[in-house]
Amino acid sequence: MSDGGKAQKELLRWRPRAYLLLGTAGVLFIVAVAGRTPVPVFLAIPLLLAAPAAALGGPRATPRLTGQRIAEGSGPEVRVQGWVRAAERVDPNDLFVDVPCPPGMHEAAAPEFERSSEEVRFHLAWRAREPTIVVAPTPSVVWRDSAGLVERRARLELPDLVVERYPPELLRIGAVRLRRTMVLPGETLSRQVGPSGEFYSIRDATPDDPPRRINWVASARSGRLLANEYQVDRTGDVLLLLDTRTTSLGRAIDERLLSISRAAAAGIAQSFLFTKARVGLGVFGEFLTPVPLGSGRAQHHRIRAALLAARLNPAAAPSERCAVSLSRYFPAGVTTILFSTLADDNLADLVPYLRRRGFPVIVLSPSPLPALFEGPALDPDDEALAARLTRLLRRDQIARAWREAPTIDWDDYWSLGRFVEFLRRPATRRVG
Amino acid sequence: MIDRTTPRDRFRGLGSWGLLGAIGGLFGFVTGLPHGEGVITVIAGVLLGGWMQRQRSRGRLRSLAPIPVLVALGATAVASPLGLLPELLAGASGLAVLVWLADDPGRPVGGVARARLTVGIPALALGIAWSSALLLPSSSAPIGVAAGLLVFVLVTVAFLIGWPSTFDREEPSAS
Repeated sequence: MSDGGKAQKELLRWRPRAYLLLGTAGVLFIVAVAGRTPVPVFLAIPLLLAAPAAALGGPRATPRLTGQRIAEGSGPEVRVQGWVRAAERVDPNDLFVDVPCPPGMHEAAAPEFERSSEEVRFHLAWRAREPTIVVAPTPSVVWRDSAGLVERRARLELPDLVVERYPPELLRIGAVRLRRTMVLPGETLSRQVGPSGEFYSIRDATPDDPPRRINWVASARSGRLLANEYQVDRTGDVLLLLDTRTTSLGRAIDERLLSISRAAAAGIAQSFLFTKARVGLGVFGEFLTPVPLGSGRAQHHRIRAALLAARLNPAAAPSERCAVSLSRYFPAGVTTILFSTLADDNLADLVPYLRRRGFPVIVLSPSPLPALFEGPALDPDDEALAARLTRLLRRDQIARAWREAPTIDWDDYWSLGRFVEFLRRPATRRVG
Repeated sequence: MIDRTTPRDRFRGLGSWGLLGAIGGLFGFVTGLPHGEGVITVIAGVLLGGWMQRQRSRGRLRSLAPIPVLVALGATAVASPLGLLPELLAGASGLAVLVWLADDPGRPVGGVARARLTVGIPALALGIAWSSALLLPSSSAPIGVAAGLLVFVLVTVAFLIGWPSTFDREEPSAS
């Protein structure tokens, strides 16, 4: 977003059309002198002077622009709306905004631009291939004169836009009763107040309070709108553990599955944080990168930043290191959701190590099968045979993982219904 | 793909295209070439260029639109006889090319108004050159002077192209 105060100067650039006009003018001058006729010179004069005149008419320094954008939509649909506002001496009609599509998405419709005398508004429609959490690339803006002869890149100050898309079932995950890992047993009330729970106090209403939260009797008595405040109890703790080690599936598929896992982790974290649970995050590559247990909006931002920074790690770190490191940052007994493809044995080894350190693990394993068989690489018979064998192999991996901990095979990336249903049934959850 | 072109969009740029055709056609007419070759050349170039400019889906073809127009006008200028009227029409044709480029139907409306400096400065220079040609006596001496001036102008333009920072202004510091 910001360049740290270091002003980077963007030079004026001549466009190919300017070179065409100047070249034509040069040829006409030469022909005029050689043929001793002034007529080509008169044709050449406007062509020669147009490009420098266009440069003089435009901004004399890098144009500074401000803007804003928001993402809307649900499921795979992402609609982005935004605007770019120009400073003085720059006409918005001469601004060209190029908004690249984030990785893992494609354009559902052509971008639309609306220009007014002050700003350029843009409407974008993207479609996410699978659940994702990604920082949308900053649009590049170029000022270009109306005759298309010169251009200059503009500097756009725009806040980062994080696009999160995860399966809709995660919104219902808040009803899950998590294990408590508090020092004191029993119900532990947090000091945070919220929209539901036990009645706590009455306060002045704010414009965004829904009618159900207004205390109408108290409001009638006092003559001003008052709203109820509630005190909610913390529901428990959950730890999300992301295994970012590479596997034999190949880097492209690993990247894709990690992206899906990050999106699911973001969705689960957000849903649990919304119910005032404490959520922690561990990203294990070569070493463990922890986000200690915490709650509230700040914790959501911390977890989101850690997830966005999570990358594949080619170093084959031993699984025991993860379990040992985890026990340093998180109390034993906290419900642990492990995101792992389980594609290789060293990834599957992590589960028993975690159990031995006292972490009750639930494995959410994004299946590589949809990614493996996207495009037909073999003839149909071989393809069917390969798919069948791979399915059997995958089933075997899941069955072996089940011996250690409950494992959910996540093959439909846009649905986590099985996972949510599993979490909501505590009897089966206490396996291991 | 939904075609969002409005009827108004379809007529955009026709005025400047017609102006270029009219001035270019007149320029071709005054060349006095037999069988109206001058007029035909210019009109063909302008029609081809205008058609290329209006190809919305083919960006590369659009970017090459000025070439047939410039080739047609250049060929007509070389074949044109000496005289104040051909000189004036040649210059006006060059200006009409700039107006036509600024009135691109693929760009937001009001391009000609925004390109007033791009057209205005060359028009001023053209006016000075043409009035000089009108007022000064014709002999071979001004040709030599003109050649010297042209070399100077070409060197200046080459310098400007090589050093685009000439057009940059120092930005005031933020603090």
